[in-house]
Amino acid sequence: MPRSKPDTVTAVLARGRLGIPSVVFFVIAAAAPLTVIAGGATTGYAVTGVTGIPVSYLVVAAVLAMFAVGYVAMSRRIVNAGAFYTYVTHGLGRPAGVAAAMVALLAYNAMQIGLYGGFGAVLAQFLQSRYGWDITWWLCALIAWAVVAVLGLLRIDLNGKVLAVMLVAECAVALVFDAVMLGHPASGTVAFDTLAPAHIFAAGIGAALVTAITGFVGFEGTVVFSEETKDPRRTVPRATYIAVVLTGLLYGLSAWAMSVATGPDKIVDAARADGTDLIFNLVSPHLGTSVVTIGRILFITSLFAALLSFHHTVARYLFALGRERVLPAALGRTSRRTGAPKIGSIIQSLIAVVVLVGYAAANADPIVHLFFWVTVTGGLGVLALMTVTSAAVVSFFARIRHGEGPWRAVGAPLIATIALTAILVVTLQEFDTLLGVHPHSPLRWLLPAAYAIVALIGATWALILRAAKPDVYSAIGLGPESATASLRNPTIVRQPA
Amino acid sequence: MPAHNEPAPPRRPVRAIGTAAAVSPRIADEFFYMAHDDQTGRPRLFDTALASGLAAALLVELYYERRITFEHGKVEVLQRLPPKDWLQHLVLDQLIAQPQHTDTRTWLAFLATTAYEQVATRMWQVGLLQQQQIGLLWRQRTVWVPTDINTAAWSWARLSQQVRNYRQLDHFDIALAGLTLHTQLDTALLDGAPYSAQAHLRQLVNQSWLPLRDLLADLSSVIGAGVLSHRTS
Repeated sequence: MPRSKPDTVTAVLARGRLGIPSVVFFVIAAAAPLTVIAGGATTGYAVTGVTGIPVSYLVVAAVLAMFAVGYVAMSRRIVNAGAFYTYVTHGLGRPAGVAAAMVALLAYNAMQIGLYGGFGAVLAQFLQSRYGWDITWWLCALIAWAVVAVLGLLRIDLNGKVLAVMLVAECAVALVFDAVMLGHPASGTVAFDTLAPAHIFAAGIGAALVTAITGFVGFEGTVVFSEETKDPRRTVPRATYIAVVLTGLLYGLSAWAMSVATGPDKIVDAARADGTDLIFNLVSPHLGTSVVTIGRILFITSLFAALLSFHHTVARYLFALGRERVLPAALGRTSRRTGAPKIGSIIQSLIAVVVLVGYAAANADPIVHLFFWVTVTGGLGVLALMTVTSAAVVSFFARIRHGEGPWRAVGAPLIATIALTAILVVTLQEFDTLLGVHPHSPLRWLLPAAYAIVALIGATWALILRAAKPDVYSAIGLGPESATASLRNPTIVRQPA
Repeated sequence: MPAHNEPAPPRRPVRAIGTAAAVSPRIADEFFYMAHDDQTGRPRLFDTALASGLAAALLVELYYERRITFEHGKVEVLQRLPPKDWLQHLVLDQLIAQPQHTDTRTWLAFLATTAYEQVATRMWQVGLLQQQQIGLLWRQRTVWVPTDINTAAWSWARLSQQVRNYRQLDHFDIALAGLTLHTQLDTALLDGAPYSAQAHLRQLVNQSWLPLRDLLADLSSVIGAGVLSHRTS
């Protein structure tokens, strides 16, 4: 084939493709760094009472980087690579895939809805302290809900440039805060206690680790963009590793800096007293008011960015499952004018508003009972998904002919599977610590059991489909690609790009 | 071989406004009409679906001209003889010039980048569309508006009536029906019709020729993938 000819098709399609920075921006912004630092880490200290939070972020970053090796290698070989359940389908079979899809729907919904608690409480507190307005948290949450619902239907994401500016500002603010906190240690010397690896084997570490995992949720989104990157072979893996390492270091550093500023022995008490205000209270004696206010505003905007991002994630999951007709086909339809996955978006918004109204009616605490409990329960679901996905990667590469080296195809995914399983087991053992409830509280079993129940429903549904609708069953995991399944042998494995 | 590079003679002032089209109807033109409001020219579809739908329509034109076919997600050139229409000619030339690309999805994505302007230009040349300035001062932009509402509304009304009355469709309308179904324009086309009408439409398309269905399946997955990886730029 004459390769000297100008390849206009490739050249035209390469226009506007994403480079590494854009992909990193998209996924880190969804993970919302300031939300994790000011909200997740502080509430983690307060609720679990565990001081090993900083080292947990670093350990989790290492485990997830390991997980990412096999994950991105497999993503090049499958269609609909954005969703965990696709990996599970191809690695462990269709019933496991549908079970994973149900777990994912529950987990991402939990992440999204839990964030409303954080957003509502933080915004209400900000308006109260700055303008003296007395607005309850749930009103703020409902306003955010209405905006997200509308943006979801209009298919409006945050613009890439806006995200980039916000993200850089968030990271800059976090680093400035860290420098200030490290410059003013409680006892006069910088203590490294909370970074000690010994914490990994201490009681309550499961709770700390899943808190950390919750902070990383969203990084798995890099592979969604694989078809739109300049060079999928390089861009997606690198963007994924960069995202994991950058966020891991930033989270670890910030959580540690807070413990330095309060003193490692007092961090839990300080977090319990100040809540999500902790980081701002720690730096405000040493910084101008305007910097602290900017930090607070960025905290609120980062919460909103995460809310919107997870809303789209849920709507797209429902869309992909509707396209496969695993869920009703109506979910696979888009709004004609905007191209939004309309019904998926509406369903997510409805679930969210029902939960919000329930919390408001029950007068529950928005930070502990909604933000922390519900997002870490979401984090637990994503942890379970990552564990199963990692096992699916091992199984997938064991069953196909491929050119990947043993490290990518076996070594890294196997280590990740073992590490993630270990984290999952200790998390389940210590779920009472995580929730900060009595060891005999039924909640510690009820929340994890919800995943087992939906997984069982998913697997059963897959088996029903196998008997009743074999064509639907055969297209499971293909997402929008399922349109071609009835005409061709489903192209589960595609040539690596 | 006929002169390969010579542009087709312009046929613009062929007809007066308000009369039936003097040129034989073309699928991409009719799909363009269907995908836009017949009076205001406002799109009835979101941009990915519209652009991909028009790209698919151009490929269907070449398929009906027996120049290309579709099998297992690949485009295959059957005959290199250039079609009379300049745009069909252009698309075929592009397909021939780059044989290293055979995936239908690749071609849909490539053609979608230009299809809208190309089809609009072709329609403007024969007087089917005109340009109009809309919007106020700073938001002023140019849109394509049908020159004649009746011509513009005809394919929409025809297809809608035939499907609602459970009739069979000719090969031209089958292609339009397929494009309508797979760009999800059918909800508007069959607005208020019973579910059985939609089932009839689906059945008509599902019983059509295999190559056409192969193309439409790729159209559907291109649009679906676009929904999943969408971001506001």
